[in-house]
Amino acid sequence: MNIKQLSREFNEAIYDTDRDRALRLIHDAVANGVTPEEVVFDVVIPAIEQTVKLVGTGAELNLAQHFMTSQISSEVTEEMVRRFKKAPEILGHIVIGTARGDLHTLGKRIVIGCLQAHMVESTDLGVNVPPERFVDEAVAHHAQVIGISAMMVHTARGEEGCLKVRQILHERGLEDRIKIIVGGAPYRFDRQLYQTVQADAWAEDAISAGKTIVELIRGAKP
Amino acid sequence: MNNGMQRLVAAINGTASDRIPVFCNLLDQGARELGLSLEEYYSSGERVAEAQLKMRAKYGHDNVWSLFYVGKEAELLGCNKIFYAKDGPPNVGGFVIRSHDDVHRLVVPKDITAHPAFAESAKCLRILKSEVGGKYPICAYITATMALPAILMGMDQWMELLFLGPIEVRNELLAKCHDFFVQELLAYRNAGADVLVYSNPFGSTDIVPMKYFMEHSLPWIEKDIAAVGTAGVVYYCGMARFNPVIATVLQRTGLGVYYLSPFDDIREGKKIIAGRGLTCGVINDIKLIDWSEAEVTHEVKTMIEAGLPGGKFLFGTGVMPYAIPETNIRTMLEAAYRFGRLE
Repeated sequence: MNIKQLSREFNEAIYDTDRDRALRLIHDAVANGVTPEEVVFDVVIPAIEQTVKLVGTGAELNLAQHFMTSQISSEVTEEMVRRFKKAPEILGHIVIGTARGDLHTLGKRIVIGCLQAHMVESTDLGVNVPPERFVDEAVAHHAQVIGISAMMVHTARGEEGCLKVRQILHERGLEDRIKIIVGGAPYRFDRQLYQTVQADAWAEDAISAGKTIVELIRGAKP
Repeated sequence: MNNGMQRLVAAINGTASDRIPVFCNLLDQGARELGLSLEEYYSSGERVAEAQLKMRAKYGHDNVWSLFYVGKEAELLGCNKIFYAKDGPPNVGGFVIRSHDDVHRLVVPKDITAHPAFAESAKCLRILKSEVGGKYPICAYITATMALPAILMGMDQWMELLFLGPIEVRNELLAKCHDFFVQELLAYRNAGADVLVYSNPFGSTDIVPMKYFMEHSLPWIEKDIAAVGTAGVVYYCGMARFNPVIATVLQRTGLGVYYLSPFDDIREGKKIIAGRGLTCGVINDIKLIDWSEAEVTHEVKTMIEAGLPGGKFLFGTGVMPYAIPETNIRTMLEAAYRFGRLE
């Protein structure tokens, strides 16, 4: 099987939320001479990008497929990176957590899973994260991006969420170096909300977030 | 002038009424109405009932709610930590299921109506029934079998178990959740709830692929509905879209009321339902926080113009966020009464 065929069948397995089939395809391909680098860069990343492309095209795409894309991508990438000939270059770092008062973890988990394949390191700050901690951890990890997930209106818009993180970044003169991305259900219901809460960007879904985070990392001043 | 129950019955049957039924789902706003914190407010069934009655009289909409917050269901299954905010719904603060062993240990109470966590809901229902029973529909919220694990273990852990297994643990949990679902729905119905909102994000193809819906979600939906009957049950997917599955659900379960997502096309939904049930058009109430009065009015008008032709239409909201200004609640409702007039 060539890379193109492998990529197509891997995508199909993801769409069918069939983890076992996806892993079997990868393991068989590696056993037959496909390199771990080819698996990550020519199969896994294109699969994520394909998923992103389908968002908004009217094609059937749903939360389960996002979840499985992230799970499988993360699992395959972790296994393959260990077998790379040389350690991959890390593009950047994000600290990510749910806003103060918010205990929903799914979106954050999908984002982290996809970022692994994009060679972005992530620090999971967990749930109910105070705004000061987002900034302190970003500084400690030299992160270019802070990710704030919120599944409820009051945690997305609240004074202890993104608005406060922005204020702290401003007060500490960090706005050029550290960018903020937000995500979660309220942002889908109000597409201008990310501006209201003074974030730099938002993502419609956790899969698309990976691409936006990479862009933010590239745009942040060192 | 009709009352709320008459409007709802007329809309379901396609008979004459003064206007379409208008459901406005005000929950946390009750605390503000009584000048209480959310924690104080939700500690008492009497207070919740009092606020529901006050808000219905004040705004004139057609329904009242017995729901406190969704985490109540987790409390009935052992959760003892609820996380209160000052301006939003209470959340489950500690999951009942943290490991597969917890699934084995999970016990569904033999009689949830005897459970202390049900006591305040029962008080609330008693008052609502005695004050407005038969005149204004009393709503209850029941999470479907397939969605209930999400509030017991968190959505990401549930998706992991659902899609990655172990299958026997997943099936054991679903079987227990089904037992709970049946008990809960019957308890609310027996206590006087008329409208039973069957909430199931896994019944939407925004959440699972159609193939998965047909093979896994639908059999559980059929099992749930077969166990409790269709009377008063409303199909709702937690604000996720479900137009693509309506025809199947209608045919396989006989459910007659569909509470769409704000992102579903109302005209399309009505076309699919084709007079076989009630279509509920639902406004994007998160936008109500910032919309101008003109924008609110325009949105309501557009929705009702899409839903009204042919009758059998209800105008509704999601769970209205606490931050919506009172003027916008009034503007939305006045527009719904005006554009939804039938005489």
